[in-house]
Amino acid sequence: MVRLERHPILEFKKGKRVTIYFDGRPVEAYEGETVAAALYASGLRIFSRSFRFHRPRGFFCAIGKCSSCMMEVDGIPNVRTCKVYVRDGMQIRSQNSFPNVNTDFYEIFDRLDSLFPHGFHYKKFIKPSFMRPFFVNSLRKFTGLGNFPKEELGEEAYKKEIECDIAIIGAGPAGLSAAIYAGELGADICLIDENPRVGGQLIKQTHRFFGSAEHGAGTRGIKIAEQLEEEIKRYENVNLMLRTGVFGIYNGVVGAVRDNTLLKIKPKKIIIATGAYERTLIFENNDLPGVYGAGGVQTLMNVYGVRPGDTGLVVGSGNVGLILTYQLLQAGVNVAAIIEAMPVIGGYFVHAAKVRRLGVPIYTRHTIKRAYGSKTVEGAQIIALDDKWQEIPGSGRDIECDFICISVGLSPTHELLYQAGCEMKFVPNLGGFVPVRDKYMETTKKGIYVAGDVAGIEEASTAMIEGRISGLDSAIKLGYGDEKAKEMREKMVMELEDMRSGPFGIRILEGLKHVVV
Amino acid sequence: MKADVVVIGGGVIGLSTAYYLAKSGVEKIIVAEKKYLGSGASGRCAGGIREQFSSKPSIRLAKKSLDMYERLSDELNFNILFRQGGYLFLAFDEESMEELERDVKLQNSLNVDSVLLEPEEVKEIVPELNIDGLLGGSFNMRDGIAFPFPVVWGFARKCRKMGVEIRDFSEVSDILVRDGTVRGVKLGNEIIGADFVVNAAGGWSSQVYHMAGLEPYNKPVKHEILATEPMKPFLEPMVIDLTAGLYFNQSMRGEIIGGIGIPESPSYQMGSSLEFLEAFASRVTKLMPKLKGVKVLRQWAGLYDMTPDSLPILGETEIEGFIQANGFSGHGFMLAPIVGKLIAKLIATGESDPLLEPFKYDRFKEMDVEPEHMVVG
Repeated sequence: MVRLERHPILEFKKGKRVTIYFDGRPVEAYEGETVAAALYASGLRIFSRSFRFHRPRGFFCAIGKCSSCMMEVDGIPNVRTCKVYVRDGMQIRSQNSFPNVNTDFYEIFDRLDSLFPHGFHYKKFIKPSFMRPFFVNSLRKFTGLGNFPKEELGEEAYKKEIECDIAIIGAGPAGLSAAIYAGELGADICLIDENPRVGGQLIKQTHRFFGSAEHGAGTRGIKIAEQLEEEIKRYENVNLMLRTGVFGIYNGVVGAVRDNTLLKIKPKKIIIATGAYERTLIFENNDLPGVYGAGGVQTLMNVYGVRPGDTGLVVGSGNVGLILTYQLLQAGVNVAAIIEAMPVIGGYFVHAAKVRRLGVPIYTRHTIKRAYGSKTVEGAQIIALDDKWQEIPGSGRDIECDFICISVGLSPTHELLYQAGCEMKFVPNLGGFVPVRDKYMETTKKGIYVAGDVAGIEEASTAMIEGRISGLDSAIKLGYGDEKAKEMREKMVMELEDMRSGPFGIRILEGLKHVVV
Repeated sequence: MKADVVVIGGGVIGLSTAYYLAKSGVEKIIVAEKKYLGSGASGRCAGGIREQFSSKPSIRLAKKSLDMYERLSDELNFNILFRQGGYLFLAFDEESMEELERDVKLQNSLNVDSVLLEPEEVKEIVPELNIDGLLGGSFNMRDGIAFPFPVVWGFARKCRKMGVEIRDFSEVSDILVRDGTVRGVKLGNEIIGADFVVNAAGGWSSQVYHMAGLEPYNKPVKHEILATEPMKPFLEPMVIDLTAGLYFNQSMRGEIIGGIGIPESPSYQMGSSLEFLEAFASRVTKLMPKLKGVKVLRQWAGLYDMTPDSLPILGETEIEGFIQANGFSGHGFMLAPIVGKLIAKLIATGESDPLLEPFKYDRFKEMDVEPEHMVVG
């Protein structure tokens, strides 16, 4: 059964049963789930074909940050099906393949790749001259993903201007915390998120949090999301704008789209809390359907109740990898092994101990060399590494699995910061490019704040504190709050320092030296 | 160090000039580019190439340039992906229609095979267009689109093979002039002697005029542009709505690339604006309603190097050896091959081609210049 019926923690309330159509074939779906989840549950594994070599691509990130699941939806090309919710009668078509995404004739290009090296279109097909227009036009036929829309979008488009004190982009733990703390001081807030519900990635965290009770320890992530959601609803001065996608910040004006309305949000301060996206890893066949982001699997399983497969291999033993393994086991999915390139396990000991007790081996100093399979993952080869991170000859062994979860870390979703003109720095300890900011989380672009993973990859608990600091500081600078608010702000700065004082904070503190001014 | 020619600007004009200089046997050529090759308007433009202009000098020059573009992939042994899908001009008001009628007549008299079209004929060429309110259009099959980057790279590649020294990330900070004659340039900390200095700095050319002590007529003006997600080919020509000042085409990658003119005052500012995005989106979706379902991927901006008559400044100035190839007012990419060739000929032989005559720097001293009207975007 692909759909989970029973789960020790989660209760899956299916929405109304509807029918969507994939390449003309009816597919069972339930209201409230995404097209990608419904198609996955129906057994579909190949979602798209790569642009050039027509290699099969499947589900990957599940949160709209990659392009693996793009399909034509009701005549509109290149729709990320992991971000679109099913509607009865929806017509979904695969793209960039002939005759269909499963059996693509153009797959042949993958075999002929040596004929088409990088830049071949500039260096080949130049002569004979009289044939060139034919070459150029033939080449052109292979460009583009998806077709020009067949139908005109019916609805009228509207424009709307909204003024507020603080616009908060992203309603995950950081954004919600910012909204609550700034909202408490009385600031007029727009809390914007592209998803239909708040909570960000908390909504797939079924595990209990660590740390002190004050920071939600002992509480499951899903529960924390619910608590924050409850809390945010109490503030009338927080305008919660869901299903609203921000596409740019233009001279302090936030450009966003909700349905068919262009929103021009004019805030006095902006807090960017856009989170992070999952990294991938370089190995042979790393693009095969069945190679998924760990978070993508969590979304599929814990939000939509869909089993990713029968047996998984988890790459990376950080907390995400360890927790995901446990969650897979809870859902009745086997995990063949966890592999870790480092000599030691990355995550907390108790998580590691738990999965080991349940019989999942953790191989340190191991990495994945290749995935097997022609259309989907049919297995993997793992190898042992020596002290210099080189393959130990003869150490290769095959692992039986039908999916592979990559949990090798996250990178900040920093595009808006760049576009807004914030000064950025590459800090590996913080996960990649992060903004330069002061201790109150204000970036070099005055009035633009950051909070959460986009400021540097850490935990949900630190994201919440950063959210509070940015919310408090932006509101205080707008004249809200009294001395007590300032005291609270200082207290939060101290708390953040405390949270980073343990052994897991060393890397972060080292990284922060480069960006906090 | 001493060079025969220093070309300021590593865009398509500068590189084309350097290439034809090398080809005509000039030995020591240096191209100085303050950022990377094509970092100015060359790498920011839509790649359109047309001969449908409104003034005789422009049409003559553009026609020759188009001839050269047809053979440029052979010349450079580099496929610039030139595709002749035509340019389709649309008129939604009387004034624009009259302009098209006047221009087509003039173009035909200069052997450009443009034709006037009725709205229904326009619809035949691009069936997806909404022709409500359309008065008519003009079309020239020979016009086309090339991909700007391979043109820049192709010229640069050939230049290097022929011994041209290309210095990127090298900014010219001064031009040395003595007794009314160019002596060289200051490039970084280095003084480089030169008999000729070519000002091919595009949007920044007015700064170069100042370095030589000449009053510039050019002004940099920001023009914005955007690209959508790539789609399978469905649009052949470059479409220009003359009434709205909008253009769009489908690039070789399948993206819709387009822009719309928004009044801007001169500056070097190149930020993207929401106003542009709104203006373009609302007009283009009226023109082609199905584009409502197509997503914009990126927007950016570049500089038009504008002159008072929207015509380029080409050739000699009162400072001997200080040669101009700038002021293209949004048409530099399409004129690059012919301009490079004629400027090279001027430097190598001292012979100014008659085609260059109307574009002299000192034409603005007489106040009687006929402007080019067909500036779009």
